Amino acid sequence: MATAQTDPHARSNFWKWFDAFRRAPGMWAYALNRLSAIGLTVYLFMHLIVLRTLTEGPQAYDDFVALVKSPVFVFGELVVVIGGVYHGLNGLRVALTAFGIGVPYQKHMFYAVLIITAVVSLVFGIHMFTA
Amino acid sequence: MAEKWTVTFLINRQKDGVEPHFESFQLEVNPDEYVLDAIERVWAFHDRSLLFRHACHHSTCGACGMRVNGVEKLTCITTIRSVTSDGGTVKVEPLRNFPVVGDLVVDMTRLYARMEMVKAPSVIPLDEAPKPDTSVFDIKPDHDAPDDMIRLVDCIECGMCVSACPVPLTTPEYLGPAVLAGAHLRGLDNNPSLLELVDGPNGVWRCHSAFECTAVCPSNVEPGWRIMDLRKQVVKKRFQRLFGRGG
Amino acid sequence: MTKPKAIVIGAGFTGVATAHDLALRGVDVTVVERGPLANGTSGRTHGLLHSGSRYAVNDKESAEECIQENMILRKIVPEAIEPNGGLFVGINESDLAYGEAFIEGNEACNIPIRELTKKEALELEPNLNPNLLAAFWVPDGTFDPLRLAMAFAATAQSNGAKFYLYTEVLELIQDGQGNVKGVRVLDRMTDKRTELYADVVVNATGAWAGQIAENVGAQVPVKPTPGVMVAYGKRLTHRVVNRLNKPGDGDIILPQRRMMVVGTTSYEVEDLDYVPVIEEQVDLMLTRGSELIPGLKEAPQRGAYTATRPLIGAGSSGRSIARTFKFFDHKESDGVDGLVTITGGKATTLRLMGEKTADVVVKKLGMDTPGRTAEVRLISYRYFVENQGRP
Repeated sequence: MATAQTDPHARSNFWKWFDAFRRAPGMWAYALNRLSAIGLTVYLFMHLIVLRTLTEGPQAYDDFVALVKSPVFVFGELVVVIGGVYHGLNGLRVALTAFGIGVPYQKHMFYAVLIITAVVSLVFGIHMFTA
Repeated sequence: MAEKWTVTFLINRQKDGVEPHFESFQLEVNPDEYVLDAIERVWAFHDRSLLFRHACHHSTCGACGMRVNGVEKLTCITTIRSVTSDGGTVKVEPLRNFPVVGDLVVDMTRLYARMEMVKAPSVIPLDEAPKPDTSVFDIKPDHDAPDDMIRLVDCIECGMCVSACPVPLTTPEYLGPAVLAGAHLRGLDNNPSLLELVDGPNGVWRCHSAFECTAVCPSNVEPGWRIMDLRKQVVKKRFQRLFGRGG
Repeated sequence: MTKPKAIVIGAGFTGVATAHDLALRGVDVTVVERGPLANGTSGRTHGLLHSGSRYAVNDKESAEECIQENMILRKIVPEAIEPNGGLFVGINESDLAYGEAFIEGNEACNIPIRELTKKEALELEPNLNPNLLAAFWVPDGTFDPLRLAMAFAATAQSNGAKFYLYTEVLELIQDGQGNVKGVRVLDRMTDKRTELYADVVVNATGAWAGQIAENVGAQVPVKPTPGVMVAYGKRLTHRVVNRLNKPGDGDIILPQRRMMVVGTTSYEVEDLDYVPVIEEQVDLMLTRGSELIPGLKEAPQRGAYTATRPLIGAGSSGRSIARTFKFFDHKESDGVDGLVTITGGKATTLRLMGEKTADVVVKKLGMDTPGRTAEVRLISYRYFVENQGRP
């Protein structure tokens, strides 16, 4: 009788969500959307944990703020910005196509999303590292 | 004189009791031959135990869909030139999201059963275009087909769209692009049970806009567009029902 | 009372049509096939639902069979057919001269054709060669080969037939008198060998029929005769287009979905299991095809493949061999009971081949149930279950 595996070589089908290699732009958009979603969710939890330091008094919070001014953290925040901008803009693209608006242009929209994300990231990046 | 390339084919092998693994076959090929030709030669001259599905060899039957270098291809119309170069490697695996029967063969029963569940048409009026303002024919001048002429639909039920779609990886109950495209072709008018199916938990709303189905479809179905258009129709019908105008 | 058992070797058109007919008559049928459904000649058939006009001049028996079966198939399996008719088009003087015999032949075979003026022909099909000299409308059609086979197979299954695909016959099992009792098979999915027994074994392996019959020292004069087909990625006509002349190479172009398929040629081979495409023949298809439809030259090539016809009888050239089918009761021809062979024929007459074979088989099984396949609407091809279990 037929075996029930759907993909003989996947460690788990979860990783196939990100299998955009050699595939069309739409699949890249989808994979990046999932990736940024996971990233933003993780960031959200971290953010809430951090805010908790507010309850521990001004010193604890000031210590934390000093930490996040370091280049590693600033870079991390830039990644969050890129992820957030991409996710939001692509989200608009998904919302439009999801209701049948502009479906034949979904690839063009994706390229526009990438370009705007790149520009915004550049602007933010410059600000964040020269502030 | 035909070009000659040397290409290595890495073919998935698996059976009951034999774990999936790749076996390598080096072939002399003409790059304008099709991937299916090479697979057939592997069976005919190298390893008679190879299992693979094929029938028409000209993209009407949908039997020979496989993953070639990780991407779904209809191997009878995919030239070797389009997937590799001289001295290169071609990885051949069965479609995803279907139970693997052995080697390159998958079980398509579930797809066929769902296509029948939505009663996706097999034949349609000749001039019914896939989308408004596109044409089926390359007939000039603009030429209307007589009303009583019919043709086989674009969808060849090859399952490549189902394989390419990321949703069935974790939600096998998802009806899938082919079935939803078939439902779209059938039409929601006069088919109230169809509305329940496509508007249900495993219907149009499961799609996450990867559009990979449209990208791999070898047959002009455009399932991605059809699913989104179906959503528009579903929403319209629901509004109509809400405001008591039937549907 | 157990049903009499039959084994059918081969799940091409002949096998599935025979299995359908036998199952409908209450026989317990098991079909064994070494590959997937219709993976041999049948899958690669051009897809022409013959009106018979092609054979009306030189092979009237074939022509009459075709027009009858054409009408039946339209009724019993419409979901696999594009029933849009066809044209026979003459481009040169030789074609024109053939017209008279063409008309007479079709009339004699009761095939309804209609002569068209050049203007009418071009109105029906604007992409035809504008310099055509003659045209006739004929009731041709096109069909999807796999779906046609699946529909017969699905209906057979619904009446109890079992299909074991990827199951190769290693040898025919014979008793002490040399009569066939069953088959020894290799299940290619599990690598297990097993034996299946039946009252009658039907050799429906088409071009391979000779190889199977050799197993028991029986002779089946089938002459494997391949031909090339080339598919192009544009649909340039609504209908089939044939060359008005005696049958020759590259004289049929048929539309199917959004393609055109041009065929075919005719030559002999030794090795059936892989028949390579010959480039010169592909070029010939384009040359001949574009004589009828000039636009083919701008159409992209989509596929090219060969299909091996099971022609029967001795003959010097593939084309002059009659295209009817023949069955062999090996008890009569070779002293080996329990085995019959059905081969030859063409796709359009699959149902008839199945019926004639089933007639012989049920008689051997001591039954007298008549065939009904001409009236029974086939169920949807989608109901075919590829994996019913292993033998």
